[in-house]
Amino acid sequence: MNLVQDLCGTLDKMVNDQFDSVEFKTFFGVPLTMERARFYVVQNALYTSNRRDCWGYVQGGAPLEVKRVIWEHESDELINDPRAGMDHFSLTVKQGEVIGLKPEDFEYAEVPAMVQACFHAWHHVAMHGHWLTAYTASHMLERRNNGKIVKGGGMSFRVGKKFENELGISLKKMISLDVHVVADTEHSENISEMFERYVKSAEDCERVLEGARDSMTIDRAYRGALGYYMAQIH
Amino acid sequence: MAMSAGTKALEKMWEELVELCNSQFDSPQFKRLLGLKFTKQRAQHYSIQMAYYVQNRRDCWGYVQGSVPLDVKQLIWRHEEDELIGRKDQGKADHITLAVKEGEVLGLSAEAFDKTVRLEGGEVCFSAWIRLSQRSWLEAIAASAILEMRNSGELVRAGSLSRRIGAIFERDLGIPMKKQINNAEHVVMDVEHAHMLMQVARKYATMETAQRGILRGAKESLLIDRVYRGHLADMLESLA
Repeated sequence: MNLVQDLCGTLDKMVNDQFDSVEFKTFFGVPLTMERARFYVVQNALYTSNRRDCWGYVQGGAPLEVKRVIWEHESDELINDPRAGMDHFSLTVKQGEVIGLKPEDFEYAEVPAMVQACFHAWHHVAMHGHWLTAYTASHMLERRNNGKIVKGGGMSFRVGKKFENELGISLKKMISLDVHVVADTEHSENISEMFERYVKSAEDCERVLEGARDSMTIDRAYRGALGYYMAQIH
Repeated sequence: MAMSAGTKALEKMWEELVELCNSQFDSPQFKRLLGLKFTKQRAQHYSIQMAYYVQNRRDCWGYVQGSVPLDVKQLIWRHEEDELIGRKDQGKADHITLAVKEGEVLGLSAEAFDKTVRLEGGEVCFSAWIRLSQRSWLEAIAASAILEMRNSGELVRAGSLSRRIGAIFERDLGIPMKKQINNAEHVVMDVEHAHMLMQVARKYATMETAQRGILRGAKESLLIDRVYRGHLADMLESLA
């Protein structure tokens, strides 16, 4: 196995391990009610917004060729995903209609304290780390959503199934979750290709792993926080 | 119809920004740079360092895109299409490719752009601009946008920086503007890009504190710009 193959194997194990963590188990263990589902969908839109912040910062710090790859990536997210006919934030808002949410619910949504702390932490990694660290930190969240890598399905797929099983809303109707099941598979593969080009030494590997560890830690804290807040809603 | 107080304040801010851009050209650093005779060697080194400047702009706009609201992110993404990707439907290359292609007219190979080191003073200025691009978002966007306003022939009375450098290349080296594909592109594009800041300010800078933030970011960026141009002038003076 070469350096990058080994590295990618480690990253794959890390994204799979997320789902065995106490925080992920807590999150998935909270039964969905319609109110909890609304809370989740609004929070997911804010998470999407935070992703846009972080990818912008990563673009700022990355080499020119990588900037171009990120710019293309952000086309789906910010401007128009041909799979959905709209950008991903609009897609999340549109998805909200299925469970009775209005655009104002997203516009005036409050970010709960523990969630805010996670958003700041992701910003920090994206803005202040070495570019490979920052890049990996953002990439890992899409890798964790890639059903080809995560056994049992990525995050969007599993949440979609939860909506289906617990609320009777089919995944096809949860248009944002449905699109992300496919989009993040493609995104994580395109972005992953850059490792082949830029990871050449043990030091590069460590930078990648640092970003992966940091982002997965924040991700667990974030999912744990969502689980906590959802459990408060009756 | 009478203008509201908020609109008047915005117009006043805009006028101040335009005046700041015009004043750049009266600074000793700009006068020194634009007063030099450009030999082929000087033009080559200027061209290479400007490619690094363009790369730094891409860094800064990326950071700015990270911190701004979603609708402004979309504006910046489109802005970066011209710069990073180009407009394939119009047969236009990205701006780094343009800089390298323009270098061919000056006798530069693509490797010369890879192998020539960044000017030390330039590196310091690039770090300062990056730092500025990580400030509060209105300051950050103003810091990047003001450099395009300073390059807009519509706003700068005796011609933008790209236009003036283009004229020097024509005068001293006999290279017509149309062959300076990078300079020529910026003469056009930065007129278009220069209006983005006001577009954003109309929505997000109706309060005086926000307008002060924009002015602060713009002024600090122009300060770095003056220092940078001074370093470029030093470099050119050291070359035959």
